[in-house]
Amino acid sequence: MTTAVQPGGGNAARPSPSGLADVIDTILDKGLVIDAYVRVSLVGIELLTIDARIVVASVDTYLRFAEAVNRLDISQEKEGLPGLVGKLEEGGAKHKTKGAIEAAGDKLRDFAGDAKERAYSRGRGGEG
Amino acid sequence: MAPSSGQQRACYVYGILPEDIELGSGMTGVGDPPGQLRVVRSDDLAALVSDVDPARPLGSPDDLRTHKEILDSSAAEVPVLPLRFGAVMAGDDAVASELLQPFHDEFSAALDQLDGLAEYVIKGRYAGPRILEEVLSENSQAQRLREQIRGQDPDATRELRIQLGEIISDAVSAKREKDTRELLDAMADHCAESFVREPTHEDDAVHVAFLVETGQEQEMEKVVEDLTRKWEGRAELRVLGPMAAYDFVGTTQPGG
Repeated sequence: MTTAVQPGGGNAARPSPSGLADVIDTILDKGLVIDAYVRVSLVGIELLTIDARIVVASVDTYLRFAEAVNRLDISQEKEGLPGLVGKLEEGGAKHKTKGAIEAAGDKLRDFAGDAKERAYSRGRGGEG
Repeated sequence: MAPSSGQQRACYVYGILPEDIELGSGMTGVGDPPGQLRVVRSDDLAALVSDVDPARPLGSPDDLRTHKEILDSSAAEVPVLPLRFGAVMAGDDAVASELLQPFHDEFSAALDQLDGLAEYVIKGRYAGPRILEEVLSENSQAQRLREQIRGQDPDATRELRIQLGEIISDAVSAKREKDTRELLDAMADHCAESFVREPTHEDDAVHVAFLVETGQEQEMEKVVEDLTRKWEGRAELRVLGPMAAYDFVGTTQPGG
Protein backbone atom coordinates (compact mmCIF):
# COMPACT_ATOMS: atom_id res chain seq x y z
CA MET A 1 0.00 0.00 0.00
CA THR A 2 1.40 3.34 -0.99
CA THR A 3 0.12 6.57 0.37
CA ALA A 4 0.80 8.66 -2.63
CA VAL A 5 -1.58 11.50 -2.94
CA GLN A 6 -1.25 14.03 -0.20
CA PRO A 7 -2.27 17.62 0.01
CA GLY A 8 0.73 19.84 -0.45
CA GLY A 9 2.77 17.27 -2.22
CA GLY A 10 3.96 15.15 0.66
CA ASN A 11 7.50 15.37 1.93
CA ALA A 12 9.28 14.50 -1.27
CA ALA A 13 8.35 17.73 -2.94
CA ARG A 14 11.02 20.33 -3.08
CA PRO A 15 10.15 23.98 -3.03
CA SER A 16 9.56 24.91 -6.61
CA PRO A 17 7.78 28.11 -7.48
CA SER A 18 5.19 27.19 -10.01
CA GLY A 19 3.31 30.13 -11.39
CA LEU A 20 0.11 29.89 -13.32
CA ALA A 21 1.99 30.30 -16.58
CA ASP A 22 4.05 27.22 -15.76
CA VAL A 23 0.91 25.30 -14.95
CA ILE A 24 -0.68 26.31 -18.23
CA ASP A 25 2.41 25.29 -20.20
CA THR A 26 2.20 21.86 -18.69
CA ILE A 27 -1.38 20.74 -18.39
CA LEU A 28 -3.13 22.29 -21.37
CA ASP A 29 -1.27 20.65 -24.19
CA LYS A 30 0.48 17.75 -22.55
CA GLY A 31 -0.68 14.54 -20.97
CA LEU A 32 -2.96 11.84 -22.28
CA VAL A 33 -5.82 13.04 -24.43
CA ILE A 34 -9.00 11.45 -23.19
CA ASP A 35 -10.86 11.48 -26.48
CA ALA A 36 -8.21 9.31 -28.05
CA TYR A 37 -9.46 6.60 -25.69
CA VAL A 38 -13.03 7.29 -24.86
CA ARG A 39 -15.90 8.13 -27.17
CA VAL A 40 -19.17 7.07 -25.70
CA SER A 41 -19.10 8.48 -22.21
CA LEU A 42 -17.16 11.59 -22.89
CA VAL A 43 -18.78 14.67 -21.47
CA GLY A 44 -18.01 17.86 -23.31
CA ILE A 45 -17.49 20.63 -20.83
CA GLU A 46 -16.78 24.23 -21.59
CA LEU A 47 -13.19 25.17 -20.81
CA LEU A 48 -12.29 28.70 -19.85
CA THR A 49 -8.66 28.40 -20.73
CA ILE A 50 -6.57 30.89 -22.53
CA ASP A 51 -3.60 30.28 -24.68
CA ALA A 52 -1.05 32.57 -23.15
CA ARG A 53 1.68 31.46 -25.46
CA ILE A 54 3.61 34.11 -27.28
CA VAL A 55 4.35 33.36 -30.88
CA VAL A 56 8.09 33.57 -30.78
CA ALA A 57 8.65 34.62 -34.36
CA SER A 58 6.19 37.36 -35.20
CA VAL A 59 6.21 41.00 -36.15
CA ASP A 60 5.26 41.84 -32.58
CA THR A 61 8.28 39.96 -31.31
CA TYR A 62 10.53 41.68 -33.80
CA LEU A 63 9.29 45.11 -32.82
CA ARG A 64 9.79 44.35 -29.16
CA PHE A 65 13.33 43.17 -29.78
CA ALA A 66 14.08 46.25 -31.87
CA GLU A 67 12.75 48.45 -29.11
CA ALA A 68 14.79 46.66 -26.48
CA VAL A 69 17.94 46.98 -28.54
CA ASN A 70 17.17 50.62 -29.13
CA ARG A 71 16.99 51.17 -25.40
CA LEU A 72 20.43 49.76 -24.80
CA ASP A 73 22.51 52.72 -23.86
CA ILE A 74 25.29 52.48 -26.39
CA SER A 75 26.84 55.73 -27.41
CA GLN A 76 29.83 54.62 -29.43
CA GLU A 77 28.43 52.43 -32.09
CA LYS A 78 31.54 52.04 -34.18
CA GLU A 79 33.85 50.97 -31.41
CA GLY A 80 34.41 47.35 -30.68
CA LEU A 81 32.41 45.89 -27.89
CA PRO A 82 35.05 45.49 -25.18
CA GLY A 83 34.92 49.15 -24.23
CA LEU A 84 31.20 49.13 -24.52
CA VAL A 85 30.27 46.51 -22.06
CA GLY A 86 30.71 48.64 -18.98
CA LYS A 87 28.52 51.34 -20.42
CA LEU A 88 25.91 48.84 -21.40
CA GLU A 89 25.69 47.50 -17.91
CA GLU A 90 25.02 50.95 -16.55
CA GLY A 91 22.42 51.60 -19.18
CA GLY A 92 20.83 48.27 -18.52
CA ALA A 93 20.54 48.97 -14.84
CA LYS A 94 19.13 52.39 -15.46
CA HIS A 95 16.43 51.18 -17.77
CA LYS A 96 15.79 47.98 -16.02
CA THR A 97 12.31 48.77 -14.83
CA LYS A 98 11.00 49.17 -18.32
CA GLY A 99 13.32 46.87 -20.17
CA ALA A 100 11.46 44.51 -22.46
CA ILE A 101 14.13 41.91 -21.97
CA GLU A 102 14.15 42.04 -18.20
CA ALA A 103 13.57 38.93 -16.20
CA ALA A 104 9.86 39.62 -16.52
CA GLY A 105 8.35 36.77 -14.68
CA ASP A 106 4.78 36.29 -15.45
CA LYS A 107 3.73 35.31 -18.87
CA LEU A 108 0.16 36.29 -18.23
CA ARG A 109 1.28 39.78 -17.49
CA ASP A 110 3.32 39.72 -20.66
CA PHE A 111 0.33 38.45 -22.51
CA ALA A 112 -1.83 41.30 -21.31
CA GLY A 113 0.83 43.81 -22.26
CA ASP A 114 1.16 42.13 -25.58
CA ALA A 115 -2.50 42.41 -26.36
CA LYS A 116 -2.42 46.07 -25.46
CA GLU A 117 0.49 46.66 -27.73
CA ARG A 118 -1.22 44.97 -30.61
CA ALA A 119 -4.38 46.94 -30.10
CA TYR A 120 -2.33 50.08 -30.06
CA SER A 121 -0.57 49.43 -33.31
CA ARG A 122 -3.80 48.42 -34.95
CA GLY A 123 -5.38 51.60 -33.72
CA ARG A 124 -2.72 53.50 -35.53
CA GLY A 125 -3.37 51.54 -38.66
CA GLY A 126 0.13 50.17 -38.45
CA GLU A 127 -0.48 46.54 -39.25
CA GLY A 128 0.03 45.79 -42.93
CA MET B 1 -23.07 2.56 -18.34
CA ALA B 2 -24.36 6.02 -19.06
CA PRO B 3 -25.91 7.83 -16.15
CA SER B 4 -29.62 8.42 -16.03
CA SER B 5 -30.57 11.57 -17.83
CA GLY B 6 -30.98 14.75 -15.84
CA GLN B 7 -28.19 13.83 -13.46
CA GLN B 8 -26.18 16.96 -12.69
CA ARG B 9 -22.91 15.18 -12.21
CA ALA B 10 -20.05 14.10 -14.32
CA CYS B 11 -16.74 12.55 -13.52
CA TYR B 12 -13.59 14.61 -13.97
CA VAL B 13 -10.55 12.39 -14.53
CA TYR B 14 -7.09 13.55 -13.43
CA GLY B 15 -4.89 10.63 -14.18
CA ILE B 16 -4.20 6.92 -13.99
CA LEU B 17 -2.11 5.26 -11.29
CA PRO B 18 -1.41 1.83 -9.87
CA GLU B 19 -4.32 0.41 -7.92
CA ASP B 20 -2.58 0.30 -4.53
CA ILE B 21 -2.66 4.01 -3.80
CA GLU B 22 -4.31 5.63 -0.87
CA LEU B 23 -5.69 9.13 -0.82
CA GLY B 24 -4.99 11.64 1.88
CA SER B 25 -8.30 12.54 3.44
CA GLY B 26 -10.37 15.60 2.64
CA MET B 27 -8.82 16.41 -0.70
CA THR B 28 -10.99 18.24 -3.17
CA GLY B 29 -10.84 18.57 -6.92
CA VAL B 30 -11.61 21.07 -9.63
CA GLY B 31 -14.88 22.94 -10.03
CA ASP B 32 -16.90 25.26 -7.87
CA PRO B 33 -17.93 23.91 -5.48
CA PRO B 34 -15.20 21.30 -5.76
CA GLY B 35 -16.03 17.63 -5.43
CA GLN B 36 -14.22 15.18 -3.19
CA LEU B 37 -11.25 13.49 -4.75
CA ARG B 38 -11.95 9.77 -5.21
CA VAL B 39 -10.37 6.69 -6.68
CA VAL B 40 -12.03 4.47 -9.27
CA ARG B 41 -10.36 1.07 -9.38
CA SER B 42 -10.30 -1.62 -11.98
CA ASP B 43 -8.00 -4.59 -11.81
CA ASP B 44 -4.55 -3.23 -10.93
CA LEU B 45 -5.26 0.29 -12.17
CA ALA B 46 -6.81 3.30 -10.50
CA ALA B 47 -8.11 6.59 -11.82
CA LEU B 48 -8.18 9.73 -9.72
CA VAL B 49 -11.53 11.44 -10.21
CA SER B 50 -13.91 13.95 -8.67
CA ASP B 51 -17.47 15.00 -9.44
CA VAL B 52 -18.11 18.12 -11.45
CA ASP B 53 -21.23 19.84 -12.68
CA PRO B 54 -21.11 19.49 -16.46
CA ALA B 55 -23.10 22.68 -16.89
CA ARG B 56 -20.39 24.82 -15.34
CA PRO B 57 -17.31 25.77 -17.31
CA LEU B 58 -13.94 24.69 -15.95
CA GLY B 59 -10.60 26.41 -16.23
CA SER B 60 -10.26 29.00 -13.50
CA PRO B 61 -6.71 29.51 -12.22
CA ASP B 62 -7.68 27.41 -9.20
CA ASP B 63 -8.94 24.62 -11.43
CA LEU B 64 -5.70 24.57 -13.39
CA ARG B 65 -3.56 24.56 -10.27
CA THR B 66 -5.68 21.91 -8.59
CA HIS B 67 -5.43 19.58 -11.55
CA LYS B 68 -1.66 19.85 -11.56
CA GLU B 69 -1.20 19.68 -7.81
CA ILE B 70 -3.27 16.54 -7.50
CA LEU B 71 -1.15 14.78 -10.10
CA ASP B 72 2.19 16.15 -9.02
CA SER B 73 1.70 15.27 -5.39
CA SER B 74 1.76 11.63 -6.35
CA ALA B 75 4.50 11.77 -8.95
CA ALA B 76 7.39 11.65 -6.51
CA GLU B 77 5.98 8.51 -4.92
CA VAL B 78 4.28 6.43 -7.57
CA PRO B 79 4.08 6.42 -11.34
CA VAL B 80 1.17 8.37 -12.72
CA LEU B 81 -0.23 8.90 -16.20
CA PRO B 82 -1.57 12.43 -16.29
CA LEU B 83 -4.53 13.31 -18.45
CA ARG B 84 -4.66 16.62 -20.21
CA PHE B 85 -6.75 19.21 -18.39
CA GLY B 86 -10.46 18.93 -19.05
CA ALA B 87 -11.12 15.18 -19.28
CA VAL B 88 -14.68 14.50 -18.18
CA MET B 89 -16.61 11.24 -18.38
CA ALA B 90 -20.19 10.30 -17.64
CA GLY B 91 -19.54 8.48 -14.38
CA ASP B 92 -17.43 6.06 -12.35
CA ASP B 93 -18.72 3.05 -14.27
CA ALA B 94 -17.67 4.61 -17.53
CA VAL B 95 -14.21 5.36 -16.18
CA ALA B 96 -13.76 1.71 -15.27
CA SER B 97 -15.44 0.08 -18.25
CA GLU B 98 -14.48 2.46 -21.05
CA LEU B 99 -11.10 3.78 -19.96
CA LEU B 100 -9.32 1.52 -17.48
CA GLN B 101 -10.47 -1.88 -18.76
CA PRO B 102 -10.14 -1.56 -22.53
CA PHE B 103 -6.73 0.11 -22.33
CA HIS B 104 -5.47 -1.84 -19.36
CA ASP B 105 -2.39 -3.30 -21.01
CA GLU B 106 -1.28 -0.04 -22.52
CA PHE B 107 -1.69 1.91 -19.27
CA SER B 108 -0.13 -0.81 -17.21
CA ALA B 109 2.94 -0.98 -19.43
CA ALA B 110 3.30 2.79 -19.38
CA LEU B 111 3.09 2.86 -15.58
CA ASP B 112 5.77 0.19 -15.37
CA GLN B 113 8.04 2.29 -17.54
CA LEU B 114 7.53 5.34 -15.36
CA ASP B 115 8.19 3.51 -12.14
CA GLY B 116 10.91 5.24 -10.13
CA LEU B 117 10.98 8.27 -12.41
CA ALA B 118 9.60 11.77 -12.05
CA GLU B 119 9.53 14.70 -14.41
CA TYR B 120 11.36 17.93 -13.83
CA VAL B 121 11.29 20.95 -16.09
CA ILE B 122 14.31 23.19 -16.31
CA LYS B 123 13.33 26.59 -17.49
CA GLY B 124 15.62 29.48 -18.27
CA ARG B 125 14.98 33.06 -19.25
CA TYR B 126 17.41 35.50 -20.74
CA ALA B 127 17.50 38.29 -18.24
CA GLY B 128 18.90 41.76 -18.48
CA PRO B 129 20.63 43.39 -21.43
CA ARG B 130 23.49 40.92 -21.62
CA ILE B 131 21.98 38.69 -24.26
CA LEU B 132 21.24 41.64 -26.53
CA GLU B 133 24.76 42.93 -26.05
CA GLU B 134 26.04 39.53 -27.06
CA VAL B 135 23.89 39.49 -30.16
CA LEU B 136 24.83 43.02 -31.19
CA SER B 137 28.50 42.42 -30.66
CA GLU B 138 28.36 39.43 -32.97
CA ASN B 139 26.31 41.01 -35.71
CA SER B 140 27.48 44.07 -37.56
CA GLN B 141 24.33 44.27 -39.66
CA ALA B 142 22.27 44.59 -36.50
CA GLN B 143 24.60 47.30 -35.25
CA ARG B 144 24.18 49.26 -38.48
CA LEU B 145 20.41 48.94 -38.47
CA ARG B 146 20.30 50.05 -34.89
CA GLU B 147 22.18 53.22 -35.75
CA GLN B 148 19.93 53.93 -38.70
CA ILE B 149 16.84 53.71 -36.53
CA ARG B 150 18.20 55.61 -33.59
CA GLY B 151 16.41 58.88 -32.94
CA GLN B 152 14.17 58.51 -35.99
CA ASP B 153 10.40 58.69 -36.10
CA PRO B 154 9.23 55.17 -35.15
CA ASP B 155 6.56 55.15 -37.86
CA ALA B 156 9.05 56.01 -40.56
CA THR B 157 11.44 53.29 -39.49
CA ARG B 158 8.90 50.54 -38.99
CA GLU B 159 10.30 48.34 -41.75
CA LEU B 160 13.83 48.80 -40.48
CA ARG B 161 12.76 48.02 -36.96
CA ILE B 162 11.08 44.83 -38.10
CA GLN B 163 14.22 43.93 -40.00
CA LEU B 164 16.40 44.57 -36.98
CA GLY B 165 14.04 42.71 -34.70
CA GLU B 166 14.02 39.70 -36.98
CA ILE B 167 17.80 39.57 -37.00
CA ILE B 168 17.84 39.77 -33.20
CA SER B 169 15.09 37.19 -32.91
CA ASP B 170 16.95 34.76 -35.17
CA ALA B 171 20.14 35.33 -33.23
CA VAL B 172 18.39 34.75 -29.91
CA SER B 173 16.89 31.54 -31.33
CA ALA B 174 20.37 30.39 -32.26
CA LYS B 175 21.56 31.16 -28.72
CA ARG B 176 18.58 29.27 -27.34
CA GLU B 177 19.49 26.23 -29.41
CA LYS B 178 23.08 26.38 -28.31
CA ASP B 179 22.20 26.84 -24.65
CA THR B 180 19.61 24.06 -24.85
CA ARG B 181 22.26 21.78 -26.34
CA GLU B 182 24.56 22.61 -23.47
CA LEU B 183 21.89 21.79 -20.91
CA LEU B 184 21.03 18.52 -22.67
CA ASP B 185 24.68 17.51 -22.74
CA ALA B 186 25.13 18.34 -19.08
CA MET B 187 22.03 16.35 -18.13
CA ALA B 188 22.66 13.41 -20.44
CA ASP B 189 24.03 11.16 -17.72
CA HIS B 190 21.48 12.18 -15.13
CA CYS B 191 18.16 11.57 -16.81
CA ALA B 192 16.30 8.69 -18.38
CA GLU B 193 14.78 10.84 -21.09
CA SER B 194 14.50 14.42 -22.14
CA PHE B 195 12.07 16.45 -24.16
CA VAL B 196 12.77 19.91 -25.49
CA ARG B 197 9.66 22.01 -25.09
CA GLU B 198 8.71 24.71 -27.51
CA PRO B 199 9.75 28.13 -26.29
CA THR B 200 6.78 29.89 -24.76
CA HIS B 201 8.36 33.29 -24.64
CA GLU B 202 10.79 35.19 -26.79
CA ASP B 203 13.21 35.44 -23.87
CA ASP B 204 13.24 31.71 -23.21
CA ALA B 205 16.78 30.44 -22.94
CA VAL B 206 16.05 26.79 -22.22
CA HIS B 207 12.81 24.91 -21.68
CA VAL B 208 13.38 21.21 -21.30
CA ALA B 209 11.54 18.42 -19.52
CA PHE B 210 13.59 15.61 -18.00
CA LEU B 211 12.61 12.24 -16.65
CA VAL B 212 14.81 11.83 -13.62
CA GLU B 213 15.31 8.70 -11.58
CA THR B 214 14.41 8.99 -7.95
CA GLY B 215 17.70 9.60 -6.18
CA GLN B 216 19.29 11.43 -9.10
CA GLU B 217 17.84 14.81 -8.19
CA GLN B 218 21.06 15.98 -6.63
CA GLU B 219 23.00 15.44 -9.82
CA MET B 220 20.39 17.48 -11.63
CA GLU B 221 20.64 20.24 -9.08
CA LYS B 222 24.38 20.27 -9.49
CA VAL B 223 23.99 20.74 -13.24
CA VAL B 224 21.60 23.61 -12.65
CA GLU B 225 23.94 25.21 -10.13
CA ASP B 226 26.88 25.01 -12.51
CA LEU B 227 24.93 26.55 -15.37
CA THR B 228 23.46 29.21 -13.12
CA ARG B 229 26.97 30.23 -12.19
CA LYS B 230 28.14 30.14 -15.78
CA TRP B 231 25.19 32.13 -17.09
CA GLU B 232 24.98 34.58 -14.23
CA GLY B 233 23.71 37.97 -15.36
CA ARG B 234 22.70 36.47 -18.67
CA ALA B 235 20.05 33.86 -18.02
CA GLU B 236 18.12 32.76 -14.97
CA LEU B 237 17.25 29.13 -14.38
CA ARG B 238 14.41 27.55 -12.49
CA VAL B 239 13.61 23.93 -11.76
CA LEU B 240 9.97 22.88 -11.67
CA GLY B 241 9.06 19.54 -10.16
CA PRO B 242 8.82 16.82 -9.27
CA MET B 243 5.75 16.53 -11.40
CA ALA B 244 3.79 13.90 -13.26
CA ALA B 245 5.38 12.89 -16.54
CA TYR B 246 3.23 15.13 -18.72
CA ASP B 247 5.84 15.36 -21.45
CA PHE B 248 6.51 11.65 -21.63
CA VAL B 249 3.11 10.08 -21.92
CA GLY B 250 2.26 9.82 -25.56
CA THR B 251 -1.17 9.06 -26.87
CA THR B 252 -0.15 6.35 -29.25
CA GLN B 253 -3.54 5.94 -30.86
CA PRO B 254 -3.79 8.14 -33.90
CA GLY B 255 -7.18 9.47 -32.91
CA GLY B 256 -9.12 7.13 -35.14
